[in-house]
Amino acid sequence: MAANFWTSSHYKQLLDQEDVDVVHPLDKEKGITLEDFKLIKLHMANYIWKLAQNVKVRQRVVATAVTYMRRVYTRKSMTEYDPRLVAPTCLYLASKAEESTVQARLLVFYLKKLYADEKYRYDRYEIKDILEMEMKILEALNYYLVVFHPYRALSQLLQDANLNDISMTQLTWGLLNDTYKMDLILVHAPHLIALACIYIASVLREKDTTAWFEELRVDMNVVKNISMEILDFYENHRMITDDRIIAAFSKLNLKQ
Amino acid sequence: MGDTNSNNGNNTNTNNKKPEWLQQYDLLGKIGEGTYGLVFLARIKSSTNRGKSIAIKKFKQSKDGDGVSPTAIREIMLLREISHENVVKLVNVHINHVDMSLYLAFDYAEHDLYEIIRHHRDKVNQSIGQYTVKSFLWQLLNGLNYLHSNWIIHRDLKPSNILVMGEGDEQGVVKIADFGLARIYQAPLKSLSDNGVGGIFCVIGRYLVCSFMKREIVSLVFGLTFIVKGEPGNCLRARVRRGKALLRLQGNVVVTIWYRAPELLLGAKHYTSAVDMWAVGCIFAELLTLKPLFQGAEVKATPNPFQLDQLDKIFKVLGHPTLEKWPTLANLPHWQQDVQHIQGHKYDNTGLNTVVHLPIKGPAYDLLSKMLEYDPRKRITAAQALEHEYFRIEPLPGRNALVSPNGDKVVNYPTRPVDRTTDFEGTTSLQPSQPVSSGNAVSGSIPGAHGGTLRSGPRQMPVGGMQRMQPQAMQAYNNLASQPGMGSGMNPGGIPMQRGLPNQGHQQQQVRRKDTGMGMTGYPPQQKSRR
Repeated sequence: MAANFWTSSHYKQLLDQEDVDVVHPLDKEKGITLEDFKLIKLHMANYIWKLAQNVKVRQRVVATAVTYMRRVYTRKSMTEYDPRLVAPTCLYLASKAEESTVQARLLVFYLKKLYADEKYRYDRYEIKDILEMEMKILEALNYYLVVFHPYRALSQLLQDANLNDISMTQLTWGLLNDTYKMDLILVHAPHLIALACIYIASVLREKDTTAWFEELRVDMNVVKNISMEILDFYENHRMITDDRIIAAFSKLNLKQ
Repeated sequence: MGDTNSNNGNNTNTNNKKPEWLQQYDLLGKIGEGTYGLVFLARIKSSTNRGKSIAIKKFKQSKDGDGVSPTAIREIMLLREISHENVVKLVNVHINHVDMSLYLAFDYAEHDLYEIIRHHRDKVNQSIGQYTVKSFLWQLLNGLNYLHSNWIIHRDLKPSNILVMGEGDEQGVVKIADFGLARIYQAPLKSLSDNGVGGIFCVIGRYLVCSFMKREIVSLVFGLTFIVKGEPGNCLRARVRRGKALLRLQGNVVVTIWYRAPELLLGAKHYTSAVDMWAVGCIFAELLTLKPLFQGAEVKATPNPFQLDQLDKIFKVLGHPTLEKWPTLANLPHWQQDVQHIQGHKYDNTGLNTVVHLPIKGPAYDLLSKMLEYDPRKRITAAQALEHEYFRIEPLPGRNALVSPNGDKVVNYPTRPVDRTTDFEGTTSLQPSQPVSSGNAVSGSIPGAHGGTLRSGPRQMPVGGMQRMQPQAMQAYNNLASQPGMGSGMNPGGIPMQRGLPNQGHQQQQVRRKDTGMGMTGYPPQQKSRR
């Protein structure tokens, strides 16, 4: 159902982490490890965000685009689906799905503009390539386009917990944005991701939310695990350097 | 769709230029068109569903080089999520990578309320039977209740978008179609207790995060954070962009305003599900009288949705709205701005009962007047309407709206005309093509579908009952795997329907996507004004 998460295609498509963490055989052949795989997806999520800043779309569009990109790579190889094209195309498709269409022309303009940033020197693609990839992505997504994001849950939960001051709102919102640098949205229900963000933030801000969490009757083991995953991510993120990203990319040996 | 096929572009079957996926169908011809593209009638060849009719909606590549049309994206997006007996069923999606076109395949519905009403008005000169009207209305409400329960507003309900199944398992079943303008208006947070787990509760103290990690987190959070600010401005820009796109559309498109709710005509910024209920009220009246209830003349080329004549038509029948009856009226932009015109005339008397010829104390009138309630917050909901007394008295509504169990005379409605001269590319064939009757290609030839344009096409179509051509969308199609009984499938999510929770303000005018171009000038006038 379009607006009921529990009957939605999103819910039905949730995967186990093990199924997300599978490197496509074609990519494996090229020596792509699971770490490389995650790194490239993270990098492309950042790229989508960077592009989105330029074309000026809502956060929701970015989140949907990243989700599309991550879903595509649960099924398709990076060898066949060049991330440098998939990422902007996912943003393009997401902008239509979220009713704030960005023109392909404009997107390509910013692709070229981002060339100035050596981290995103991906300018070999033209409008035609994006339009072609759009259809391939629609197919790869099996035409399931509705994505439920934790943002709405987050603000409602914060309100419910009486934690909706500016400080908590900003912190949790930021944490939530960062969860799109991981595959959490493919694995967990959005409200659980939101709860993990609230949980981490309340610990950081020394808010006692124990009683509130108790009343929720959610599986706190899951919330805890998601929280740990987020914290692990931050811990590991320090180690990520541009060199590692470039190394991972070079293994893909994509056409320049 | 699991069985989706696509042409990989390397399919060079010279014998048959059809893309691979298309070979599973026998293409019969074109049955409609709109700004988005064309609609075709086809039959499935495969043994499992042999002979089953499919309507294939082909979306043109947008002219401005912007890929798959956002309308198509939105329609696919919604249709992929919904499933209900009274909503058209998307059975497949196909992509032709060669010409970058997109095809949506629906179960085919032979009739629609527009044609049924027209047939009664122009051909049989007789009103639609009570049983049939009630069954249409009940099923329409049933489908709408499902949509509204799932936070989907249709936004473009009108007789031509309400399909009715022809002969077969689902004969007389209503299917709501054309979701190109529909939108999800609220993604509600489901209560957390519904995740099916519950029980296990593990209290975690604040010790989970060690203090040394805190600093790292803080710095990283802000180092990595996506766009947090600037939401409203961007929304606005998006809205403005979309507004422009719609304006462009209006240039060659007929906008339906007859079914548009008064709050929208008065400039309300938000759609609520109540706008669909107003349309249902208009359709109900039209089923009873065979005439559009509020047939306003449209003001073209205005960027705002203000339609004085349409409002005037409504006020004439229902009387002027008052602040007592509709308190939020005062907040509506056009009510405030155009005091002279809108508030100037005064129609006091409600003449609705005389227009629809219903006894004022009867349940039918009661239901209709509740659908046509001015205040959207007081307007009856689909769920409430289904419980109305009208549906509890004889004749009771049934699943096959076309055949009454009381043995009333069955009206035979004409089948949809099929333009057999147009191929999937939308080009008219120069060679006379083979018309088809009841299943497979048979004899008979088109008496010269020459000239290469559609202009003369319809008059030359060889199949009986071809008096009409549908220049606009024949858009959607139904559910093969029908659920038994009419009550099935309602509100599966169990979410109570709510009003007044509009989305964050994407305002959009309702647009009739009808193409007046395409060389259709040879059509009879009433077809051109079809709404």
